Amino acid sequence: MFAAIARRLSALSRRWARRHGMDASPCTLRARRIYILPTGLGLAYGLMLLAMLVGAMNYANNLALGLALLLGSLGLTTMHHCHRNLHELVVRAVGADAVFAGQTARFRIILENTASTTRAELVVENEHHVNTPLQLPPNSTIEAQLQMPAPHRGKVFLDQFRISTHHPLGLFRAWAYLHMDAHCMVYPRQAADNDLSPITPLTTAGERHGAPGAEEFAGLRPYQPGDSPRRIDWKAYAREQGLQVKHHAGAQTQPELLDFEALAGMDTEARLSQLCRWVEDANREDRRYALKMPGVNIATGNGSAHRQRCLTALALYGL
Amino acid sequence: MNDAATTLTTAAFSRVLRWSIAALALAIAPHVPHLAPWTVLLAGSAALLRLWIDAKGRELPAKWLRIVVAFAALLGVLHSYRTLNGIEAGTALLVVMAGMKLLETRNNRDLTVIIFLAYFALFAAFLYDQRILLLPYLLACTWLLTTTLMRIHHSQMPGMRTAGVHSGKMLLQALPLAALLFLLVPRLPGQFWSVPAREQAITGLSEEMTPGDVSELSLSSAVAFRAHFEGELPPPRERYWRGPVLQQFDGRTWRRLAMPQPRQAIVAQGPHYDYRITLEPQERNWIFALDMATDWDEDRAARSADLLLSARQPRISVLTSFQLRSATRYRTGEELSPVMRQITTFIPSSNNQRTQALARQMRAQSPDDASFIQNVLRLFNTSDFYYTLQPPALADNAVDDFMFNTRRGFCEHYASAFTVMMRAAGIPARVVTGYQGGEYNPLGDYLIVRQSDAHAWTEVWETGRGWRRVDPTAAIAPDRIERGLQAAMGANEPVPGRMVGNHALLSQLRLAWDAANTFWNNQVVQFGADQQRWLLRQLNLDDERWEYLGVGLGLALAAFFGALSLYLAWQFRSAPPPPARAAFAKLSRRFAAIDLARQDQEGPRDYITRLARARPELASRLQQIGALYIALEYQAVAPPDTLQKLQRAIRQLPLGRAARRVQQSPEQ
Repeated sequence: MFAAIARRLSALSRRWARRHGMDASPCTLRARRIYILPTGLGLAYGLMLLAMLVGAMNYANNLALGLALLLGSLGLTTMHHCHRNLHELVVRAVGADAVFAGQTARFRIILENTASTTRAELVVENEHHVNTPLQLPPNSTIEAQLQMPAPHRGKVFLDQFRISTHHPLGLFRAWAYLHMDAHCMVYPRQAADNDLSPITPLTTAGERHGAPGAEEFAGLRPYQPGDSPRRIDWKAYAREQGLQVKHHAGAQTQPELLDFEALAGMDTEARLSQLCRWVEDANREDRRYALKMPGVNIATGNGSAHRQRCLTALALYGL
Repeated sequence: MNDAATTLTTAAFSRVLRWSIAALALAIAPHVPHLAPWTVLLAGSAALLRLWIDAKGRELPAKWLRIVVAFAALLGVLHSYRTLNGIEAGTALLVVMAGMKLLETRNNRDLTVIIFLAYFALFAAFLYDQRILLLPYLLACTWLLTTTLMRIHHSQMPGMRTAGVHSGKMLLQALPLAALLFLLVPRLPGQFWSVPAREQAITGLSEEMTPGDVSELSLSSAVAFRAHFEGELPPPRERYWRGPVLQQFDGRTWRRLAMPQPRQAIVAQGPHYDYRITLEPQERNWIFALDMATDWDEDRAARSADLLLSARQPRISVLTSFQLRSATRYRTGEELSPVMRQITTFIPSSNNQRTQALARQMRAQSPDDASFIQNVLRLFNTSDFYYTLQPPALADNAVDDFMFNTRRGFCEHYASAFTVMMRAAGIPARVVTGYQGGEYNPLGDYLIVRQSDAHAWTEVWETGRGWRRVDPTAAIAPDRIERGLQAAMGANEPVPGRMVGNHALLSQLRLAWDAANTFWNNQVVQFGADQQRWLLRQLNLDDERWEYLGVGLGLALAAFFGALSLYLAWQFRSAPPPPARAAFAKLSRRFAAIDLARQDQEGPRDYITRLARARPELASRLQQIGALYIALEYQAVAPPDTLQKLQRAIRQLPLGRAARRVQQSPEQ
């Protein structure tokens, strides 16, 4: 029961922390959003100082009192240093590469130090992942990854994460909550190997193909977004001729139609998984394919942009 | 929230463990002389065992074993000190438990506890000793401990030097606030809970005197007290600092009178002296006032019937100051009670009979008491009596042996013999011990009185006038009174400080060092309510209210936070971008006027291409700018005048009237 209450409280506190809406990216940490409290060790340190103060007063011993005051003053100084270590840190969430359901989404967080002093021991963390402390030299950026489990297809949102530090003496911990509008696309889980195969429709009139069976190099054409990196002529690129794509006459076999309706008798998720697998297979073998689902019609194509479009459609189908 | 997010690698842990143990050892070192040896041994062997375990990669001792040993150590402390209360037992417990803690130290949290214990050991060291020399040592230890603490809590464990500089800076930043708080924190009178006094042997005057026994005192150059006079110093022959009065004589030893005695009123005559006396720690509570004290703080001191001023506390165990007034000429009363007359004329008739006979004979030959006293002093002066710190041992009839055989001795012998002769002639007389003389320190304008200035003289009762001081030593060795012990001694006698005294520079250095110590003692060690009141007066706050200290505390804190914030803001200020990037940013600013600013994620090449497409007439110039910028940013070594070219090219880019007009009111 306590766990449930704690979860509820934590959810409430998050809602409260997000009351101003999402943070822009980049976000510069300002003083009013940086919290600071003594750590357990800091409290122990405070108790030690209290004992010292009482002892020094009891013995009316000025030097002992002086030491206690120096250590107390040092504690307050480290509090300032701790706070400053976060203050005006620039944080960017630059999104995450898409993953398949069941994998882990990895959000990339960029920390930038525009100050002329090193920021030390910055910890980027959320409830699923704690990074090892990072050191940021003056005028530098560093990338941290935040992991989120992605069990289901759709989008995983980064939501809340925390940047904290207990530099320099571990007596205080300063932290700031960030809510950044970053998400990770989660494609459906790929179906396992099976003997289902996509329907290959008849060639319709008007579609041009090279001579069947011939896969001959037919020349270079300029790169266009969506072309498979496999077909880029890297040697030409190295000769500084720009990105050129090898064009093969007759490279295309019959385009495949990946049809949702064709997978009758399966539930939606299983169909999406199967379609996902077909997309990946076709993409791997560099075949052309089209995707057809209720409300979704993606024309024949190939390449990574085409793949991404199809997988995104699968991921978001019905959501 | 996990506090101990930092986890150290094994190698880093080993390094920082060694540093922590070293820092702990340095923090405990000042305690070693007054700790029970076994506690030091136990903690030391625990540290060595921990280092060995670390070096060999062994397991830590089992938990039950650690608990048993720790409990045994606790009992051991209880057995050695009979208590766990007080500084000594507390320190011993701290040392033992720090050793035990080392045996279960496995992560940075445990190491932090070790550092905290070491901080506490430093604190305890000040309770024992507040000498000026201890301060730099303990401050250095504080620095080392703070540096180690910083390294413990840094995952990339920085080197000693880097961390040392950082922690040193933080300590320096903390210092102003600590100093302000030190001045402003109210000092509370008295103790909240009493702790057993510390047992320790300090040389000083005692409650009895046996002439002929070896006296260590006259060979000690330790400081007994210092006196700072507000006006004139008393002349050397009047610098008698009064200690206990010895009135009971058993034929060999003089003792204080244990029974109650009537009080006598003091009537001061002649000039008086105002001074502040600062007593070094001693085993009693005696205040060695200039003979005779007439005014003092009744709350802190009281005068006994034998005219010795004592502190109200049972013992002066730390440096303590008193503000006193004395008159060197005074009367002590007119009547001597019969009991006191009997006591102060008593001598055992069975021994020292030759001296008694001599006294009676000389009294008979003198017309009155006064001339008898003069005759006895003349006897000491004219006969072959010698003043020496190395007198021969005396036989059973000590006074007879001294008067008729050895005739060598120092103040005790003369005071004792003289008093016996007075009593033998029926004149009430008693021995007074204390100090005589003192070295003037011009650097701090005060007198230093050392243990070697310990002295004994005689008081005789004069009807109508009271007790009058007669110093037989002045008759035999006038230099002792006028110029101090060194002047009175033969060249081959060991006198403390003679070597230093004969050397002008060393002597100056010694006085300078003593002046520094005195300043330290008065202004820092004894800083208290008086000085705080003085401070408030300096700030023109005549109304001495403690609320002002509170307000001052608040202001001090606010000023500290403000100053530190400003300093840190300056430290963390944005660094200026490199000049090439600044020039390229200027290009973007110029084009911003016609909505062609560089996008956030746009590379320089893409941006130039976009600009060239938008303003084809500038394409070639833009391409040149792009090439220059890329050369500056990405080439290992760009030609030397590239930056100037880039800046000129950007400056001279003709953007047309429309853009220029917008630019004239920039940043819209």
